[in-house]
Amino acid sequence: MSSSVKRVYGYLAEFESASALYKAAEKVRDAGFRKWDCYTPFPVHGLDDAMGIKRSILPYFVFFGGLTGLITAFLLSYVTQVGIYPTTVQGKPSNIFTVPAFFPIMFELTVLFSGFTTLFGFLGLSQLPRWNHPIFASRQIHRATDDGYFIEIEAKDPKFSAEGTKGFLDEIGGENIELVEDDGT
Amino acid sequence: MAHHLVTSAEIPEEGERLEVDRLKKIRTICLIVAGAGGLLSMPALFGWFGDGVQGSYSFSWLYGFFFFTTLAMGGCFWTLLHNVSNSGWGVSVRRVMENVGYVFPWMFIPMLPLLLPEVQTYLYEWMDKHRLAKEAGGGSTSYGLHHGPTADHLLHVKYWYLNLEFWYVRMLCYFPLLGFVIYFLRKLSVDQDTDPTPGTSRLKRARFHSCWGVPVLAVVLTFLAIDVVKTLDYKWFSTMWGVYVFAGSALNAMAVIILVTIALRRMGYLKNVVGPEHDHLMGKLIFAFTVFWAYISFDQYFLYWYANITEETRYFILRNTAGWNYVSIVLVFGHFVAPFLLLIRQDLKRRNGYMIVMACYLLFMHMIDLYHMIIPERGPSVTKVLHPHSPDSWALWLNGSIVGDVVAFVTVGCFFVYILLRNIGSVALYPHRDPRILESANVHN
Repeated sequence: MSSSVKRVYGYLAEFESASALYKAAEKVRDAGFRKWDCYTPFPVHGLDDAMGIKRSILPYFVFFGGLTGLITAFLLSYVTQVGIYPTTVQGKPSNIFTVPAFFPIMFELTVLFSGFTTLFGFLGLSQLPRWNHPIFASRQIHRATDDGYFIEIEAKDPKFSAEGTKGFLDEIGGENIELVEDDGT
Repeated sequence: MAHHLVTSAEIPEEGERLEVDRLKKIRTICLIVAGAGGLLSMPALFGWFGDGVQGSYSFSWLYGFFFFTTLAMGGCFWTLLHNVSNSGWGVSVRRVMENVGYVFPWMFIPMLPLLLPEVQTYLYEWMDKHRLAKEAGGGSTSYGLHHGPTADHLLHVKYWYLNLEFWYVRMLCYFPLLGFVIYFLRKLSVDQDTDPTPGTSRLKRARFHSCWGVPVLAVVLTFLAIDVVKTLDYKWFSTMWGVYVFAGSALNAMAVIILVTIALRRMGYLKNVVGPEHDHLMGKLIFAFTVFWAYISFDQYFLYWYANITEETRYFILRNTAGWNYVSIVLVFGHFVAPFLLLIRQDLKRRNGYMIVMACYLLFMHMIDLYHMIIPERGPSVTKVLHPHSPDSWALWLNGSIVGDVVAFVTVGCFFVYILLRNIGSVALYPHRDPRILESANVHN
């Protein structure tokens, strides 16, 4: 359906190596772009700093997720084992001092809830899962899983301009600069 | 701001060395205090100040000795782990690990009083029983433990392991064994500093030899902990004892390593190769081992509490009696909950001032942890030896005994610090010719 109206997603530029990409990323960051990303075949150490990405807020979610798990487990075991149906095992008390028996459950639910919060918090923050991504319209992006190092600057970025951004990518050493147009599929 | 990339131009060719004069004063003070404390301790341990002091001080000395031995063993552990796991991040702090670990062979000296039968009388009930059984058995301890009035079935079945000859052999073997491992690894590392063509061969040899060093550490740490602390009560047994002591050792050795690296940086050394990234990594290890300690110590408690079998619960019943119960509760919150919450934040681990406070706090908690392991046995054990026939005078706590604890702790502590400073001052502060020193200097979390 090549006749449909296309929307400009952004510019994609290739860099020859991980270190060239790293240096270019620092320049993009310093130029003040906000909506842009890097694509590499493997994780590049320190790239998040070069891109100026702030620390994720996910750890805070996880902390409170874990805390919820801890409290849930305590209440669940305390209310059932001490409150509703006091269970006496080997003459041990059935009161707050029974708490060591609940520790394994408290530990497990803390881990479980932390794990769930990590997974679903991560998915939420990354807006995943999704069916498609506009970058897939690019003709060369598949090489990011093989030997290509790419920087992509979105048209949504307030600093984006059709000619200026292309020139900028060219200036910082980008090759094969491509205008990625999302065809809405 | 981009990270400053450390290059080989910033690593001095001959490495950094501590200007020994700057620490001379501390070293001299430590040596004098250790010497004076040793002179004061000897008559106390030989019983010239009376039986009460001798009995009480035996436990104090064991406490001081064991506290600093755990730190040294932890230093060995981190060195071995670093080599075995082929780590690059810690090359710039590895020398500090080696130096902390290399105190271990020297801990042989404060161990010596434990070999005295006069001291053992108060510490180890089983040794008394063995000695009596030997007389009764006509020279055969095994026979005496099996027959007649000195018979003790438990000691008889444990005889193959728990006998005086083997105990002495073990005590004399631990220090040379692990001492050799750490001496050898440190020497491999130090020799590289002066090698004009440093390659990767030492790196690989260190890794190879650390692989058998790890089981040596495991055996030495576990059985040393069993022989000097757990046998305070020969009837009690715990399969988690070794790993419990290990958890505290590794945690607090890392606290010492953090303190030393921060102190060296404040003196102006290590600046090119150690930075906030290393603080962060070491802080993470401290955090991990805080959790590990809690996991292990709770498991040990939990199994006995749950099973509730008479001969297994004695250890915890004693430690849940009277004032010791508060110490147990302090450990739960002070050794686990508080450090867990205080170390959880990433940015705080990168602040040196904060980590100094946390490392000192954890070492203080380690003091309480070991106090809780060793000292509750003192009151019952000493009063029972002194007044075997009058149970009325058996006591949980000996008045004034804490003075001895402080004296012994400070004495062995000063000895430890003296040896540690001597180790640090005698070699380069970091392995400047290690092939991975730049990788370590530029490490990124």
